[in-house]
Amino acid sequence: MRRLLKDFRRSLSVSLSTWVVLFAALIFLAALGSASFFARRYVREEAVKRADQVLENSALRLSNILEDVEIAADNLEWLVYRNLDHPDRMMDYTRSTLQGIPGLSGCSISFEPYYYPDRQYWSVYSGYLADGSIQSEQEGNDDYQYFYLDWYQLPKLLNQPCWTEPYSDWEPDDDVDLLTKMLVSYSKPLTDSDGNYIGCVTLDISLKWLSENLSSVRPYPHSYVVLLSRGGTFLVHPFQDKLFHETIYTRTLADPDSDLEALGHAMQDQEEGMRALRIDGRRSYVFYTPLKSTGWSMAIVCPRRDVFSGFNRLRRMAVGLALLGLLFMFVVCFRVIGKTLKPLRELASQARNIADGHFDTVLPDDPRQDEIGTLSRSFAHMQTSLVSYIDELTRTTAKRERIESELEVARNIQMGMIPRQFPERDDIDLYGETIPAKEVGGDLYDFSLQDGKLYFCIGDVSGKGIPASLFMAMARTIFRVAVQKTPAVSEIAREINESLTADNDQLMFVTMFLGAVDLGSGRMSFCSCGHNPPALLSPDGKASFLDCIPNVPLGVTPGYAFQEQGIADVRGVPLLMYTDGLNEAENAGHEPFGNDQLLAVLENAPFVSAQEAVSRMNSALRAHVAGAEASDDLTMLCVRIAFR
Amino acid sequence: MGCSSFIRRILFPLGLSLAAAGVLGAQERIVFTPQSGAQAQFAGYYVALERGFYAEEGLDVEIVHPFATHSAVDKIREGECTATTLPLSLAMRTIDGGLPLVNILQTSMNSATVILSRWGDDPLTLHGAKVATFRAGFGQLARSFAETEHLDYEWIVTASAVNLFVVGAVDATLGRSYDEYYRILQTGLFTPGKGIYRFEDGEYNIQQEGVYVSRGWYERHKEQAEAFARASRRGWEWAAAHPDEAVSLSMRYVLENWTPTNGTLQKLMLQEVLRLQLDHDSGRRAFRLRPDMVEKASRLLREAGVLSRDITMEDLLP
Repeated sequence: MRRLLKDFRRSLSVSLSTWVVLFAALIFLAALGSASFFARRYVREEAVKRADQVLENSALRLSNILEDVEIAADNLEWLVYRNLDHPDRMMDYTRSTLQGIPGLSGCSISFEPYYYPDRQYWSVYSGYLADGSIQSEQEGNDDYQYFYLDWYQLPKLLNQPCWTEPYSDWEPDDDVDLLTKMLVSYSKPLTDSDGNYIGCVTLDISLKWLSENLSSVRPYPHSYVVLLSRGGTFLVHPFQDKLFHETIYTRTLADPDSDLEALGHAMQDQEEGMRALRIDGRRSYVFYTPLKSTGWSMAIVCPRRDVFSGFNRLRRMAVGLALLGLLFMFVVCFRVIGKTLKPLRELASQARNIADGHFDTVLPDDPRQDEIGTLSRSFAHMQTSLVSYIDELTRTTAKRERIESELEVARNIQMGMIPRQFPERDDIDLYGETIPAKEVGGDLYDFSLQDGKLYFCIGDVSGKGIPASLFMAMARTIFRVAVQKTPAVSEIAREINESLTADNDQLMFVTMFLGAVDLGSGRMSFCSCGHNPPALLSPDGKASFLDCIPNVPLGVTPGYAFQEQGIADVRGVPLLMYTDGLNEAENAGHEPFGNDQLLAVLENAPFVSAQEAVSRMNSALRAHVAGAEASDDLTMLCVRIAFR
Repeated sequence: MGCSSFIRRILFPLGLSLAAAGVLGAQERIVFTPQSGAQAQFAGYYVALERGFYAEEGLDVEIVHPFATHSAVDKIREGECTATTLPLSLAMRTIDGGLPLVNILQTSMNSATVILSRWGDDPLTLHGAKVATFRAGFGQLARSFAETEHLDYEWIVTASAVNLFVVGAVDATLGRSYDEYYRILQTGLFTPGKGIYRFEDGEYNIQQEGVYVSRGWYERHKEQAEAFARASRRGWEWAAAHPDEAVSLSMRYVLENWTPTNGTLQKLMLQEVLRLQLDHDSGRRAFRLRPDMVEKASRLLREAGVLSRDITMEDLLP
C-alpha cells in the first residue's frame, strides 16, 4: 500500500491514470445507479403484472373446478329430492357423481337420524380406495355419528350451501394416507317441504389433489402458491407439514410478525393486492386474490431474489464489464501518458547531467509542437544560456579575483603609508589607527617632528575606495613636503590646498585638521580645514570639543587663505582627533554614535595613554554598532604632550 | 448419544422392563386411552412410557388414542381400555350414569374451560346465542353455569367446534384454554380481550383432568393402579422440569397418530397444562382431588339436573 502510495506520488503516469479512472468510475457509478433504479422499477412492475396474470388465471381455473363441484352438488340434490322415497338408490347416486367429477375424493348423502323411521343412521358415502376403485357404503353407526361433524352441521346451522374448513377424515384402518384424507367439503342442505333440515349432500376434495393441481403454478423458480381457508389454514402449501396443520398466523403465536398478520387479515377479508414482506426469512412479494364463493384466498409467494434474478444477473455482468473496462482504461491511460511524458523523463535525466556539470550534454531534438516540444526547446535554450552564463561568470570571477588581489596590494601599500611607529619619548604620547570601510580607504593621519615641534594631521577624503585612497596618498605626501617648507600650519594647509586643486578634474577634496605643538612651551597652533573639531580632556576631567574656525576642505577653493588658531599650552591635555566614521557610525536602528557619547567615553575613565584612549573609544563604538556593517572609514589620532 | 446416556436412556429401562416382565409376567397389560387424540396434553404419560417410568413400576402399558366419534368413556365401558383421562364433571356424570370409576391420579387443579365469543362480545352477554359444545368432556359444568347465569344458550353439540366457530355458524364456543383457545387464536379471527370468559377466574373453577379406571378393575388390580398413578405423576414432574424435551416427545406421538396440529400449538398447550396443574392455594402440583371442588362440582351439576345424586369423594376415590 505504501509502495502504491509512493508510486502514486512519484509517477505522473500513475496519478493521472488513477484520477482519470476514478472520474470515469464516478460517472459510471452514477449512470449505473440511475439505470439500475429505473430498471429495477420496471422489472418490479413487470413482475407485478406477470404474477397478477398468473394468479388471476390460477384463481379462475380453481374457481371453475370448485364451480363444477357446486354444480355437481346441485345435480345430486335434484336426484335426491326426486328419489327421497328410495334411500337405497342414494348409494348409486354418490358413486355416479364421484365418477363424473374429476378431483372429487368422496361424495355422500346424509340424513338426520331416523329421517327414515326404520333407519337410525343413513349416510351413504362413495370414496376412492388406494387402488383407484370406488367403495360405497352406509357409514353411520354408533361409532361414526356423522351428524356431529362440521360438513353435516354447517349447512344445517347456516341453512345454505357452504364450503367447510379443512378436516381430517382419516381412520387408522384406512388404506390411504392422511394427506389424501385431509379434506374440504362442499355441503348443500336438504330440506323438507316445510323447510326443515333433513340432511345434506356433500362432495369432498382432498387437499392433496388441490395441491397437486396448483403446484404447477410457478411464475418464478422458487415461487409457490398458497391457498388459505377462512380460518387462515393452509389448504395448499408446498410444505406438506403445513397443510391443514398450520395457519398463516401459527408462526406469529411464538414470534409476532405484524406484516404477516396484516397479510393474513387482508386475505381473510377477501382483499386483493400485493405485499412485500419476509416469508420464512426470505424477502418476498405476495400477490393475493380472493375466491369469492368459498371465502378462501389464493396467493402466490415470489421470493424477491427470484423476481430480480435476471436483473441482478445483468447488473452483476454490467459491473463486471465496467470494472474490466476501467482496468483496461487504466492500462491504456498509463501507457499513453507514459509515452507522452517520456521526453520529460529524458529531459529530467539530461538536466541531472547538466546539473552535475556536464554542460555539453546533448539534449534530444523533439520536433513536437505541443507543450512538451516547447518545453524541450526552452530547455535547450536554457542550456545554451546557462553555458554562456557560466562562461561569463568564470571570466568575471577571475577578473574579480584579480581586482581583489590588486586591492589587497593597494591596501597594503596604503597601510604602509600610515605611520605605525610612534615616537617613544617621555614628552610625547601619540597613537593613531585607521580602519577603512572597504579594502582601501580615504582617511589618513600623519605626524612629523621638525625643529622642536610636533606636526600632525588627520584627514578624510570625500568618497571611498580606490579614488579616495589615491587622493589620500597625494594629501599625505603633500603634507610631508609642506611641513619641510613652512612652519605655519595655515601655510601648510594652503600648500596642500593649492597642490590638490591643481588638475582636480574629479572635484575631490579632503577635510583635514592640522596641528603643531611646540614641545618646549606647549603652545599649539592649529588649522581646521572643514574637519570635525577634536575633543579635549581638561585636567579637571571634563571633555569638550575644540572651538575651531571651519575654513574650507582642501582641494576645493584655490587661493583660499586659511586662518590659523592657537592654544597657549596644551601640555597634560589629551587631544583626540577623529574622522566622521566615529561620531556618525550607526547601529542597526540607524542611531549615530554621536558627539555626546564620544565626550562621555573620554570622561568616564581617567586618561591612561593615547593608545588606551583610542582602544577604549573603539570598544565603545563596537558596543554601539553591535555588529552593524561600517558605512565609512574610521580614523582616530590621540596626542598628549607632557611637561618636560 | 454418549455411552452413559445410552445406558441410562435405553439399556437401563430395557433391562428393567425385561426384569419386570420376568417377575410380573402374569401382569395384565394396561391400555391407556387418553380422552382425545395424541397431543402435549398427555405429555406426562408419554414421558412415563418413553423414559421407562411405567416399566420401572413393572407395568406393561400401551397408549392408544381414541377416534373423534368413539369416546374414551365408551371404550372404558366396553372394556377396550383400562384407564383414561376425564374431566371431573364427566367422571361424575359417568359414575352417576352407572359406571363406577376410580380417580387414581388427579392432574389438573384448575378449570381449563373457556367460552370464546366469535364476534368479540362478552360471552356473558350473549343471551340466546348458539354456543358449540362437545359431545363428551367438560361441557357439563358450562351448561350448569349458563343456566345459573340465565344465558339461554342454544348448545350445538359437535365434534368440530373450532370449524363451526371459524365459519361463523355459532356465536361462541366452549373450549379449553390449552387447546381450542390456541387453535382459534391461530385462525386470526379472535383477539384476546373481553371475548373470552375463563372459568378458572370465577366460581366455576373446578379441577378437570384426572386419570380414571373402572372400579371393578381397580378392585382387582389395586397395586397396578397405584403403580400406574405413581409412574404417571413422575412423568408429569419430569415434563414440568424438561418442557422442551416433553414437547419433542409429544410431537413424535402427534406425528405417529397423524394429529392435525403443529409444534407451536403443542408447546403452548404444554405450558398451559402445566400451569393448570398448579394449585391456586398452595402454588404446587398437588396431584389430588380437592374435596371442596368435588363438593362444589357435585352441587352445581345436581342443580343443573345433570346428576341425579351427589357424587362424593368416596365415589371417586378408591
